[in-house]
Amino acid sequence: MKKFLFLILIVVVSCNKMLDEDVVTNVTDDFYNTPAGFSTAVSAGYAGLRNFYSTERGMTVSVFGTDTYTNGSDGDFKFANQYTSQLNPSYAHLREIWNGFYQAINVCNVVTTRADAIQGLDSAVKVSGVAQARFCRANYYFILLQLFGEVPLNLKENTSIATEAHRDPVAAVYGAVISDLQYAASVLPVSQTDWGRATKPAAEQLLARVYLTRASSKSAVGTDYDSAALYATRVISQYGFQLLPDVGQVWAQGNERNNETVFAVQYINDALYNSADNNACRFFLMQYDVLAGMKRDLANGTPWKRFRPTKFLLDTLYKDRVNDSRYEKFFKRVWFCNTATDKLKVGDTSVYMPGVDVTDAEIAGKKYLYVPPRNYTEKLYPSLNKFADALRPDNQASGVRPFIAFRLAEDYLIAAEAYMKKGDNATAVGYINTLRVRAAKVGANDVETAAHQEAMKITAADLSIDFILDERGRELVGEQLQWFDLVRTGKLLERVRLHNPQGGPNIEEKHLLRPIPQDQIDRSSNEFGQNPGY
Amino acid sequence: MKNTLSKTGVILLYLLLLGTLIRAQQPVNLTGRVTSPDGSPVIGATVAVKGKSNGTVTDNMGAYKLKVSPGATIVISFIGYSPQEIPVNNRTTIDVKLAEDNKKLEEVIVVGYGQQKKKDVTGSIASINSKTIMEVPVTNAQQALQGRTPGIDVINNSAKPGDEPRVRVRGTRSLSAGNDPLYVVDGIPFAGAMNDINPSDISSMDILKDASATAIYGSRGANGVVLITSRKGKSGSRPVVSYSGLYGYVHALGRTDMMNSQQYVDMKREAYRTTGGYDDNNPDASDAKIFNATELANIKRGVNTDWQELLISPGWQTRHSLGVSGGTDKTKYAVTGGYFKDQGVLKLQSYERYNLHVAVDQEINKRITVGTSMLAAYSTRKGSSYNGMGDALKMLPIADPYDANGKLITYPTGDNQQPNALLNYVPGNRVENLYHLRFFNSLYGEVTILDGLKYRLNVGTDLQQNNYGLFLGKNSTDLLIGGGDATATKQSQFVWAYTVENLLTYNKTFNRKHNVGVTALYSVQRQREDSSSASVRGIPVEWQEYYGLGQAANVTGIGSSLGTWTILSYMGRVNYGYDDRYLVTLTLRADGSSRFAPGHKWGYFPSVAVGWNITKERFMEGSTLFDNLKLRASYGKIGNTGIPPYATQGLLGRTTYSFNNKGTLGYSPILLRNPNLTWETTTSTNIGLDFSVLKGRISGTVDVYKQKTTDLLLQKFLPFSNGFDYVLENTGMTQNKGIEVGISTVNIESKSGFNWTMDVNFFINREKILALGEGKTQDIGNGWFVGQPTYVYYDYKKVGIWQTEAAAQVYKQHQGEIQLADVNNDKAITDKDRVILGSSQPKWSGGMTQRFSYKGFDLSIVAFARMGSMIKSDFYATYNTLFGRYNNLDVNYYTPQNPSNEFPRPNSNQERPNNYNTLSYFDGSYFKIRNIGLGYALPKKLMDRWQMESLRFSVDVKQPLIIAPYRQKWKGIDPEDVNTIGIDAPATWMLQFGVNATF
Repeated sequence: MKKFLFLILIVVVSCNKMLDEDVVTNVTDDFYNTPAGFSTAVSAGYAGLRNFYSTERGMTVSVFGTDTYTNGSDGDFKFANQYTSQLNPSYAHLREIWNGFYQAINVCNVVTTRADAIQGLDSAVKVSGVAQARFCRANYYFILLQLFGEVPLNLKENTSIATEAHRDPVAAVYGAVISDLQYAASVLPVSQTDWGRATKPAAEQLLARVYLTRASSKSAVGTDYDSAALYATRVISQYGFQLLPDVGQVWAQGNERNNETVFAVQYINDALYNSADNNACRFFLMQYDVLAGMKRDLANGTPWKRFRPTKFLLDTLYKDRVNDSRYEKFFKRVWFCNTATDKLKVGDTSVYMPGVDVTDAEIAGKKYLYVPPRNYTEKLYPSLNKFADALRPDNQASGVRPFIAFRLAEDYLIAAEAYMKKGDNATAVGYINTLRVRAAKVGANDVETAAHQEAMKITAADLSIDFILDERGRELVGEQLQWFDLVRTGKLLERVRLHNPQGGPNIEEKHLLRPIPQDQIDRSSNEFGQNPGY
Repeated sequence: MKNTLSKTGVILLYLLLLGTLIRAQQPVNLTGRVTSPDGSPVIGATVAVKGKSNGTVTDNMGAYKLKVSPGATIVISFIGYSPQEIPVNNRTTIDVKLAEDNKKLEEVIVVGYGQQKKKDVTGSIASINSKTIMEVPVTNAQQALQGRTPGIDVINNSAKPGDEPRVRVRGTRSLSAGNDPLYVVDGIPFAGAMNDINPSDISSMDILKDASATAIYGSRGANGVVLITSRKGKSGSRPVVSYSGLYGYVHALGRTDMMNSQQYVDMKREAYRTTGGYDDNNPDASDAKIFNATELANIKRGVNTDWQELLISPGWQTRHSLGVSGGTDKTKYAVTGGYFKDQGVLKLQSYERYNLHVAVDQEINKRITVGTSMLAAYSTRKGSSYNGMGDALKMLPIADPYDANGKLITYPTGDNQQPNALLNYVPGNRVENLYHLRFFNSLYGEVTILDGLKYRLNVGTDLQQNNYGLFLGKNSTDLLIGGGDATATKQSQFVWAYTVENLLTYNKTFNRKHNVGVTALYSVQRQREDSSSASVRGIPVEWQEYYGLGQAANVTGIGSSLGTWTILSYMGRVNYGYDDRYLVTLTLRADGSSRFAPGHKWGYFPSVAVGWNITKERFMEGSTLFDNLKLRASYGKIGNTGIPPYATQGLLGRTTYSFNNKGTLGYSPILLRNPNLTWETTTSTNIGLDFSVLKGRISGTVDVYKQKTTDLLLQKFLPFSNGFDYVLENTGMTQNKGIEVGISTVNIESKSGFNWTMDVNFFINREKILALGEGKTQDIGNGWFVGQPTYVYYDYKKVGIWQTEAAAQVYKQHQGEIQLADVNNDKAITDKDRVILGSSQPKWSGGMTQRFSYKGFDLSIVAFARMGSMIKSDFYATYNTLFGRYNNLDVNYYTPQNPSNEFPRPNSNQERPNNYNTLSYFDGSYFKIRNIGLGYALPKKLMDRWQMESLRFSVDVKQPLIIAPYRQKWKGIDPEDVNTIGIDAPATWMLQFGVNATF
């Protein structure tokens, strides 16, 4: 009996070790203290970009609800265009952007906080990693401050169960963003063998954007336009970037890494490393797949009809279709039959939008669907083709192509705006005209082409902030900048009221900032203020 | 394993020889009659020879005939009477009058780590026996519990073959940890699929409900414990061979009411009328705009396809089991082989299972007994994720599935969002299999050390292997929608678990009055789970299905993982009874879990219970009313481990990004370290009363309980600006209180042999969230509200349909759209207008079993009801889009000519109505007849002539009737589902024929 109890005792003592828990499958944060772990943190810092660029959430808060785009027939987020009561602190996209960015910021902070203490980390790798992390962090904070105004500014890795959170002054956030970007611009190379990593020109273009934005904000510093002009012109002139001769090639699939691309958010045709949210290829397309002679295919895309161009974009901004090629380059207006009917055979025109009015008799006279602007509906309209993605593995799959987030054309527009604001309209007009001449139609001969180019040119008298916004609309339509540009220039309310029939009646002063996600307020143990009006 | 089998073989052989030996003796023919105290014949009483394996059963007149040796002793026994032993003493006729016995009190029931006589039990325990289990055709043990005992809420998740129901004992208490009870099979905790156990291998199930009963299971007892005892052989019984075979015809209980062609065409026209796209002055031109050529031709042709009719066909179920059991006075054995198959009403869904159960108990000498019980199962489940119902419902009635040559049309209307649902039925287009193999063994050895002192070693081993494969061919509907290449997924999982328990028990009665029982336990349980998976796209040759992943064009997902956990436990229990009148039970369990951080690994769970056998008091002597009256009370603490392994350790999550068109791996912090986590603790109080009156004619149990669960593991959400979503913390609190009544009555017990008995149960449970941590009163994201049950429906409240544009415009809405209640009356519909519409908690539940028997006939009716809950129906959310592209539920929608307040006006400019979810909440009450079973056992005389023990034929009608508002008023099929009625295989009824023979 005694022996027996003794045996039990031995078993008990040895078994207590069994309660130790060793992690096998998962990874804990000790991994960051190694050179390999450091590199994974740098990579993870970029992953937050996929939260915003080319995604439904990122596009919904930046493309429609503006003068150029309104809602199509589908989607659960039309209220973001219509500025109705659902655009409130519970709005999911804002929460997702907020959460995703702050999670990405935290991993950027891991890089900046731990870099110096990692044993065996090559110093060049360290400096480059820190600069890349600071570039990403700056971009996240810059988008956050444009959307929400005062936001919490954390520049150190958080490892504690922190329940307090505070909004920091906009000026402080700008300061941190600029300091990050200046550091990045000072140490990063002009180009990277790993295309898609941050570079010096990318940091400088973002700096130009940031200065231009701060210049018209309450946090403005007197030299902001000078700084914006400086960095924009550096990108234009210092690194060999060039506007592509054919504006239609800028967004051609497979050509994303072109002379005009300064920084592209990376996506890939490998399901193990892609993101399900890369859906820019779907949102702008009209519902062609229910029309006679048409079925859904990869070349024509998955038509989710979320975003519909406004009349203002089509009829006013793209009024000049004689000299300016951009409407026809950026918009798909004709669809070719891909499933035969009794009237159409494969390859015939199935749908055509002439862009001008035609008579009912003319419509009736065509065997295809002939759609003048007066017959556009929420699911029948010219479709922006910049993001078309025919290389997806199938029609249910998300996009596989990179998204050009910074391109040279914007530097011309930033430079023009900054010079105009500095009072140097002549220089400003120069930048505008370079960009416009590039977009001129190619004529039947050189004379015609030259005439088109000449017609594209403007004079100093034409220059105004409205003209620059119009030009941005023409050039950068759909590229996730329009809402920010309208807010930056103080034109959001005016232009939405004038040109967006769905959002116009409802938009108010409060909409210049987005509501802070309710979760952030509810979860903070201290009082976390909401933006006025929400 | 191999040893066990060969040992069994030896024993079987031995028993066959034994039978031959008995025949070699010089027997006499013994006859006689067995009667009850009032002189009526006792039919079916067992008359056996003591110590031997031969015996017989009395016939309709109570008579028996048996060959015995002149010096033998016969044993006569029958349920409800005390068994009698009578030496034959050379007589040839022995008539026996049996004395009634309150046997129920002497009944032994299984409690945690042992057995107790029912009269000594202080906890709240519900028991059901094999007869009850087999009364309803069921696939698994949980279904056998539905409606049969108070306090157990069993809900079928779906009618898919192989799905297991959800079981809750006394409500839901945990918000984020599990709420499933702990299953213990032959003493060993049993995790994973209960489907692995053939219900006919179960001899009893005992459900431990209060703290006194469950606290000895410590950290895993909070959700109740279901003790399952498998069938064992009987000592002193000749080999009994039994066979049972059942075959049932399974039919869908109805069709979802979808629009027919005319209704659909009208709806689509209306959808376009709403948006100005349909000109009634020019209907032909308008139709030509909204319907394509195929559709127009089909409408003209009068095509009206009922896709459900095409996809749903009768299913069937079959079950066979063949077994042999018996024993000598030293050895008991039972071996059963089983086969079960359930072919669903959707062709691609089925569940098939083979079972082998072997139980052997061997007494080695007076001190030592050893034994083993093995449950082996091999099953194949097909189509577990196939949703034929969803496929069928969205197809348009104006779509013709076949072309002129009778071939399937890939896109019947040309819309490639609606590929032909029948394509999934073409062999090779969609293949999905889950192969599952399991060996669950328990072995024990028991040594009597001193009189009353025993040591027992229990060792349980559990091996599980899952092999899952899913292949979607290019022509499966899933892929036709996207138009991609064939995809395949393969997953495998290996689980190895063991339990070792050391038990010391001491039982002794002192001075005839002091009854003492002590139990001490030390145990270890460990589980290791190893899994891997891979998914690919672009299978080059479709016949490879999911067996050639390496040849596919792209890998779309790949992974593997290892998870291990351990629990160490000490437990002590003391039972003390004084004079059979006063009973006390004290338990304490200490559990150590690997899942918690050092310093927080151990938890302690005590309980105390008292019982008072009032009928044993002197003042009750002479009382003829009560046979039994016992009052019980218990109080204790029990735990719930709650967290998955590794949850206390800070974790990084993999991120994906790429540079230069090459993938790059990243890690991002996703979970903060939190070493302070501990168990969820439930404090439970129970007061119960057991009674039996009029010589057992009416007996029953009433229990009242209250449970408070504290330290609930909740995600404490953090302001995301600090980089993290949440940490797990022990902060919440819930409460469950309720009352349970179970009554059994013998309504008629006539001399003519007609008997009518009845079991009725009724129970009410009220869940309430008491705290959500940090003074929060609600957590809208999770749907938790202080003061409410754990699952509520929180949404806008639909008032009706806007009847005029002017009224609608106040809310910036339109005529024909859903009108919502403006709860705070601020003339805008905002988040603040959402309210708690109802909860999935029933107001009350109850069950009833009626049993009738006359001569060889028996009839049983099992029914149950679950009343006053709310349910959400996905049918009304998903197939009610009213925009014209897909078919729609046949609902009474608004049009300017039909001012309905039920459903909104169709609108071609939206994928679904605004606030469509508000259309999907319904009264979830229902009453169901679970089964009507009729049986006939052939008379004894015939059996003797055929040299059989018994032969019984049966007919069952399973689920012949559902009465529910959702079914009768809202044209749904079955409201039984967990919180939301999913779009799934339709509920079914079954007509089953069976035969049961023993030799």
